[in-house]
Amino acid sequence: MNVALAILWKDLVSEWRARDRVVAMLIFSILMAVVFHFALPGSRPEELQALTPGLLWTAYIFAALLGLNRSLALELDNDALAGLALAPGNRGWIFLGKATANWILISLVQAITALIFAIFYGVDLVPALPGLALVVGLGTVGICAAGTLLATMAVRTGFREVLLPVLLLPALFPVLAGAVEGSLAAVQGGSIPFESLQLLIVVDGVYLVVAFLGFDYVLDE
Amino acid sequence: MSKNSSHSELGPPSALERRVSTWRRTLGIVLALCSIAYGWAVITAPIDSMQGIIQKILYVHPPLAYGAYLGFVITGIAGMIFLGRGREDMDRLAIASAEVGVIFCTLMLITGPIWARGTWGVWWSWDARLTVTLLLWFVYLAYLLLRSFSGPSPRTARFAAIYGVLGLVLIPLNYYVIEIFGSRSMHPENLQGGSLGDGMGLPFLLGNITLGLAFLYLVFLRWEVESQRTAAGEGSSAR
Amino acid sequence: MKSPLLTLRGIEKRYASVKALGGIDLELRAGESLAILGPNGAGKSTLLRIMAGLAHPTSGTLEFAGGKHDRGQIGYLGHSTLLYPELSARENLIFTGRLYRLDDPAARADQLLAEEGLAEVADRRAGGFSRGMAQRLSIARARVHAPSLLLLDEPYTGLDEPAARRLTSRLQSLSTEGHALALVTHEISRAALLAERAVILKAGSVADRVENEALDEAGLARAYARALEGEA
Repeated sequence: MNVALAILWKDLVSEWRARDRVVAMLIFSILMAVVFHFALPGSRPEELQALTPGLLWTAYIFAALLGLNRSLALELDNDALAGLALAPGNRGWIFLGKATANWILISLVQAITALIFAIFYGVDLVPALPGLALVVGLGTVGICAAGTLLATMAVRTGFREVLLPVLLLPALFPVLAGAVEGSLAAVQGGSIPFESLQLLIVVDGVYLVVAFLGFDYVLDE
Repeated sequence: MSKNSSHSELGPPSALERRVSTWRRTLGIVLALCSIAYGWAVITAPIDSMQGIIQKILYVHPPLAYGAYLGFVITGIAGMIFLGRGREDMDRLAIASAEVGVIFCTLMLITGPIWARGTWGVWWSWDARLTVTLLLWFVYLAYLLLRSFSGPSPRTARFAAIYGVLGLVLIPLNYYVIEIFGSRSMHPENLQGGSLGDGMGLPFLLGNITLGLAFLYLVFLRWEVESQRTAAGEGSSAR
Repeated sequence: MKSPLLTLRGIEKRYASVKALGGIDLELRAGESLAILGPNGAGKSTLLRIMAGLAHPTSGTLEFAGGKHDRGQIGYLGHSTLLYPELSARENLIFTGRLYRLDDPAARADQLLAEEGLAEVADRRAGGFSRGMAQRLSIARARVHAPSLLLLDEPYTGLDEPAARRLTSRLQSLSTEGHALALVTHEISRAALLAERAVILKAGSVADRVENEALDEAGLARAYARALEGEA
């Protein structure tokens, strides 16, 4: 547990000083918002409102891919990943520290992205905020759990930028299914369907367990 | 970890792999006989009064699906055994069953739309079962890409095994999604013998048996190739 | 006789038909310095990474001080520094201390910074360090949990001559302070300055062991040449 906290602290301090990851993810997300404007010409406001959750999640997923890859690529400088693997004890805690740091940074980007979408597309997200935050938070746990595990593998192959999306996207279907459904309900002012939350919690739990246990093998030489 | 494992026990081919070759040859003979019977049964089966000739795809399509899923399950389980016990023969089995699984899945994804075009009038529908299968196909394509991108090494084998386990976990998760959000499904439920018209039961049964055997035959063959390739020092590969 | 610290029995590393290590037996005693020599591809680094617990052998056993192998007992210094450039020297050590679950990582960090002569640059970012300074910080990092055994994987890579000489004298003093050292290198002259004992690896097997109490460069070079041509 302390190991996880140490890694969380290390990642946040490093990011605070470099600020490259959050900035890159943010610029990318804003660009996505602009791309959607051109991709959906002449949409009426009520159409856009129905589309916003899906568009938002599309931006979220691709921004997360960017951040996850960078998060693990940083550990390759100076072979720092080997330094983590040398530490005694269960390596699952290393995973948990990295995944939590990723979750915090990605969530931050997601919050700002939602704000920008709201402004660009004239969607009032304020009433939906608590529900949306819950769904996005839970969905991002799943993304970060599977993503941290898979990024640790992807960055150590020769094709890191290509491989992570190929590995991660097919695994995110259950997360997206629950998250988009839940977000849509939140944006349309309804209550979040219980099924969405249930699904997200189950998927989060499964991915966390698989990644926690699998990380030991991933860090081996 | 076994302490005194001799080379012959650990190195390729393993004791199990040496037996695979014998099984495959026996299987080949049975398969050849079954194929003849299957072909004859499909040709002579009555033509469906509603769907016409296209209905005969149903003698191929469902068994392909079973093979695809079986392949993915074997890949996941073999990967787990490889991780837990360090048995490299299981890693080679995982490669074999992933590749054959992908072939079966691809054929299923090709035959499905052909039948759908004739029956539903569309090539593709985002029906729950179709979507899930398509996603699974991507998972195992990613599995093979992961293997070929990072080249043969113990690390690649471990990465692949973990991804295979993740893919295995995804099968029930994806079906859980369908169950939760209701299957807006056009896809017929798994056919029971009783729901088939007169004269359609036999070719359907033979299809399951023949393609099931073909699946095993191909997995064994691919496994054998992989084991010989490693024994010859080429290292395992996933092309 | 000193007590055995790290014992390797029949260590084999193999994948498919490629054999990286074939049955290595090795014993490292407390406080002793061992050089692991050999040409490129002989399996030196693989062996060291197995000793460090970074990789698992295909078969064979490792024991630490008669018990189970434990990563927490071993320090590792490679040619990469394992440091985080955005963190200061002190923060790097505190972080490492927390990885090893130390009770007071801050105090240990200050102690090590003083010992390695880095106290005045403690709050500077490690990313701005020269290769020599980074190497010293890296030594501090390897010693954070006070391991009785230090594994050194080609630590001279990228160091200029003065920095390399400083590293040698630092390692010599660590050895006199009672640390056991295992040094992987392909440079015989550096090994001769440090090691009391040497093993020469060739194609994944021990080709020769040099056990003389006073190991000199000439003797080691002869043994090395003999081992490499012997089976060619």
